[in-house]
Amino acid sequence: MGSNTEKNALIDANEYEDQSIGAELTTADINKMAWRSLLLQASFNYERMQAGGWLYGILPALKKIHTNKNDLAKSMKGHMGFLNTHPFLVTFVMGIILAMERSKQDVSSIQNTKIAVASPLGGIGDAMFWLTLLPICGGIGADLALRGSIMGAILFFIMFNVVHFTLRFGLAHYAYRMGVKAIPLIKANTKKVAHAAAIVGITVIGALVATYVRLSTTLEINAGDAVVKLQTDVLDKLMPAFLPLVYTLIMYALVKRGWSPVKLIMFTMVLGVAGKYAGFL
Amino acid sequence: MEISIIQAFILGLLAFIAGLDLFNGLTHMHRPVVLGPLVGLVLGDLQTGILVGGTLELVWMGLAPLAGAQPPNVIIGTIVGATFAITTGVSAEVAVGIAVPFAVAVQMGITLLFSAMSPMMSKCDDFADDANTRGIELVNYFGLLVLGVFYFFCAFLPIYFGAEHAGAFVEALPKNLIDGLGVAGGIMPAVGFAILMKIMMKNIYIPYFILGFVAAAWLQLPILAIACAALAMALIDFMKKDETAATVKNEELDDGI
Repeated sequence: MGSNTEKNALIDANEYEDQSIGAELTTADINKMAWRSLLLQASFNYERMQAGGWLYGILPALKKIHTNKNDLAKSMKGHMGFLNTHPFLVTFVMGIILAMERSKQDVSSIQNTKIAVASPLGGIGDAMFWLTLLPICGGIGADLALRGSIMGAILFFIMFNVVHFTLRFGLAHYAYRMGVKAIPLIKANTKKVAHAAAIVGITVIGALVATYVRLSTTLEINAGDAVVKLQTDVLDKLMPAFLPLVYTLIMYALVKRGWSPVKLIMFTMVLGVAGKYAGFL
Repeated sequence: MEISIIQAFILGLLAFIAGLDLFNGLTHMHRPVVLGPLVGLVLGDLQTGILVGGTLELVWMGLAPLAGAQPPNVIIGTIVGATFAITTGVSAEVAVGIAVPFAVAVQMGITLLFSAMSPMMSKCDDFADDANTRGIELVNYFGLLVLGVFYFFCAFLPIYFGAEHAGAFVEALPKNLIDGLGVAGGIMPAVGFAILMKIMMKNIYIPYFILGFVAAAWLQLPILAIACAALAMALIDFMKKDETAATVKNEELDDGI
């Protein structure tokens, strides 16, 4: 038993104290989540992107699931992590994640799943909405408008939003039901599911570092007559996304040494502005 | 045609609402085809508003915010552009040209806001630690309010004072500073990832991080493809260790007691 308490202390921050399955979410709860998901990007920022709005969306449901205040705090803290997903498809992720919260999976397992499911939706959503739905509705609307009819605006608005809200609410309910059905399976295989979620989550984070961190230098080296562009001639040939990777790893090392996020953000802002004035960024 | 302060104010409010709709709400009432007639309605010339809206819809059709790249601001472009088109009688395309500096100005405001909201996330961490749900909500409402106010002024000023007077405001903005913050914004997700990795990274997962990075950086695979490949790797592990499932279950029972 001694080793057991030791283990509990170690994983304390990661595991919920109350391990009983959380309160069932009603149709009204899921609808509320879908409405609130409209504000996904309300506190959008460069550091965590949609994290604040994401937490805003699932907050009432989290409160219902975690009646233990410490558990609610742990859960909220986890959900403040970086997130960038497609604002139209986000309720699909929310539904799955709330089912996992109900089954009281540990925090890192839930966060890994969130990243793994949410991140790929960006590309799918862009193709569905910006490249398909919007051009179709906009084309029909503009055509009618150019012929002087107010029906262009009205038809556009109705067509677009029927699809938009059907998907938003439909996905929310579908994903939640699917997630709840999987609860017994997940509950029985907690450790294996956590391991699998970590594999997918960490792989996607590796990909996100290469995709989302944009850092390149405008430095040039004058070697006699030849001008060597440091970014395109050297770094890009050595390794694509080299600077983003290095910068992320530096940030990671500093976070582990106890630097606060605010300090790192200020450091990054000063670097960006100084780099622009000095002409190397 | 003269614009009264009340009309300018209403158009500013319209920009406030449409500005929020661009990122939040997403009903797409901020598209030119809808905004054009609304501007026309405020200015008392619905018919011209409809036509200008239709023209501008086609202009912005190809300019969707793909993969986080922001096109010229559609809302200020439409509201200010349509206003000039209706009041001065110039063609819609020319009127948009007049509106472009203000579309750029609102973009600067957004860059500033996204930068300023980054340190706010640490405040949210503190709220989360205390399970303070109200605090989280207020930060979100605050972000909405600031964004909307930016839009209000970027529409109200040029419409009420005329483009040439309001243009002086835009030129007074420190361009290098804003651009620098934009550059910093591009780097900033690195901080977010570092914090994520602090929670999730364990030594045994380093190989997967490398695989994900290689797949995105060198192979240029879409995130969906990478996630699917990662899922396959996870499933291989998941099925291979099936024989240990029984012991895992027993352990859990022990934990429960």
